[in-house]
Amino acid sequence: MKRSLFDKVWDAHVVEELPGGNALVFMDLVVAHEITTPPGALSIEREFGDKLYEPNRIVAMIDHVAPAKDSATALQAHTVRTWAKRQGIRFHDVGDNGICHVLVPERGYVTPGMTVCCGDSHTCTLGAFGAFALGIGTTAQAGAMLAGCLILQRPKVMRVEVTGELPFDATAKDLALTVIATIGFRGGTGYVLEYTGSAISALTMEQRMTLCNMAIEAGATTGIIASDETTAAYIAATPGAPENWMSQAADDDAEYAATVTIDARTVRPVVSWGTNPGECAPVDGCVPLDAPQASLSYMDLRPGQELRSIEIDQAFIGSCTNSRIGDLRAAAEIFRGRRVSVPTIVTPGSQAVRRQAEREGLHDIFQDAGALWTHSSCGPCLGMSMGVLAPGMRCISSSNRNFPGRMGDGGRVHLAAPAVVAASAILGRIGSVSDLLRRDEENAGAAQRELAVTA
Amino acid sequence: MIVEGAVLAIPRANIDTDQIIPARHLTRIDAEGMGEHLFEGLPDGAALLASRPDATILVTGENFGCGSSREHAAWALTGRGFRAVIAPSFARIFLENAYTNALVPVTLPQATVDELARAQNIAIDVEAETLRADGGPPISFALDALRKHFVLGGGFLQYLNAKIPGIRAWEAAR
Ligand code: SF4
Repeated sequence: MKRSLFDKVWDAHVVEELPGGNALVFMDLVVAHEITTPPGALSIEREFGDKLYEPNRIVAMIDHVAPAKDSATALQAHTVRTWAKRQGIRFHDVGDNGICHVLVPERGYVTPGMTVCCGDSHTCTLGAFGAFALGIGTTAQAGAMLAGCLILQRPKVMRVEVTGELPFDATAKDLALTVIATIGFRGGTGYVLEYTGSAISALTMEQRMTLCNMAIEAGATTGIIASDETTAAYIAATPGAPENWMSQAADDDAEYAATVTIDARTVRPVVSWGTNPGECAPVDGCVPLDAPQASLSYMDLRPGQELRSIEIDQAFIGSCTNSRIGDLRAAAEIFRGRRVSVPTIVTPGSQAVRRQAEREGLHDIFQDAGALWTHSSCGPCLGMSMGVLAPGMRCISSSNRNFPGRMGDGGRVHLAAPAVVAASAILGRIGSVSDLLRRDEENAGAAQRELAVTA
Repeated sequence: MIVEGAVLAIPRANIDTDQIIPARHLTRIDAEGMGEHLFEGLPDGAALLASRPDATILVTGENFGCGSSREHAAWALTGRGFRAVIAPSFARIFLENAYTNALVPVTLPQATVDELARAQNIAIDVEAETLRADGGPPISFALDALRKHFVLGGGFLQYLNAKIPGIRAWEAAR
């Protein structure tokens, strides 16, 4: 049978078929962070002594709340820190850290054909490298550290073919949201999304990570993209990455359980209006007339309301979706020479990204614009430490989840690409880059008229 | 094994793990104490729980447990005394977490779930994969043939631990 890319990676890692359609699947890498790892790590030590399958196949870091915000989160971080030391596990502490899905690829821990798991749903990000990477619970992660394997039901594979070219103003984030809106917020459940097509080949590795990052938001087990020259060039430029890895792609005429085709030319800059990432529409569009009442009342919006009329209270650029150097450059383009009109937080995805941004002077652009430039952390994305929203506050965010309460109890979140977040931060309402340019022109016109009058 | 008890119905689709337990409570290094914060992310969560304080069976909507991988969602449910969740569908990670925590995940068609949402009491026979609502006729459902074993008391980590020699042999021959 002709196999998909996913099938090949899966087949190469099945140790044993198990009852009920399950398989014992070997994991090449287990990623650990301070929020979900401690209970599992400690229970293995308690029940099985200090036995791990292979400490060399684990990498740990502090990412969600970095540095700790109180004694409880300090204990979480310290538990991972001391455990990693005891077990001889590679560890990235505060200062040398990053959001796991940003740090793992930039340190060369992931290469095509690998299997990776982490107690974090956005592990699907790493599918950008042609790896089978998935999020799991704490106990499953403990199992993978103890025995090197997960127990999984074999997912079906959905081919998501993206033809043509993205318009100049549409980004990988807009494509990711469009995919979710197309197949539905739970349309990917039971599937791996295998992205193919000319628009995918044209994406950079960072953009592919943004796209794969949101596969979970369609309910999919993960996303995956075949490795190519772009992948090879990224890995070659990554210090510490292995030199030997095998490029893999789907067979021609591979069979898929489902296929969806999206014409990239139709992708517009989008923003979410509802309470799940599938509830989004073009920035210059309106809230749909048939929008569910529950979403509308939580978001305090009306059917048919223009999205550009929505005023915001905060803006956030960061998270494992959009916090890499390319995202920061795109945002800086917009901020350059302008001022924000709402509190704006810019949080790089890793300390390495932070240092690169500072070498390029991006931190000056953000701060000149009046935005807050922070150290790396998950930060406001999960409403756990900095930048938490109060009930009723509205934030436009480059992150991935707009669930009720996600960024703080009662807080409202609109998801968008970094450039749209930046433009909105300046406008004080939801708006696209074109809206911003139009405003600039109007302001320039008004200034000229004023000059003419005073002359 | 019979799992029996009072029913709490929250017939809504897409209840995600942030609604089951918001991130601000993910600050422990063990699985304790999560039950106190169950459904704090639902605006009416506290009132719903107070309406059936003795509930042990949750009947809910499609795609239950979507979003974050946090096993804390399963711990919050078991910590509060829930022993089963009945829904038309579950998100994958939540489903896996339910099994490893012996929280029985019962998948049934929407129409059946709608009827069960009106029940006062449900008794689930885990081995037989049937349930009865308020003493009514048995309704069959299917559990994962392997993971059922973890609900019935077989330890998940012990199961994997026993597989290690085979895994090492597979890896050596890789
Ligand atoms: S940035 Fe947000 S979504 Fe990504 S890992 Fe951190 S908390 Fe999760």
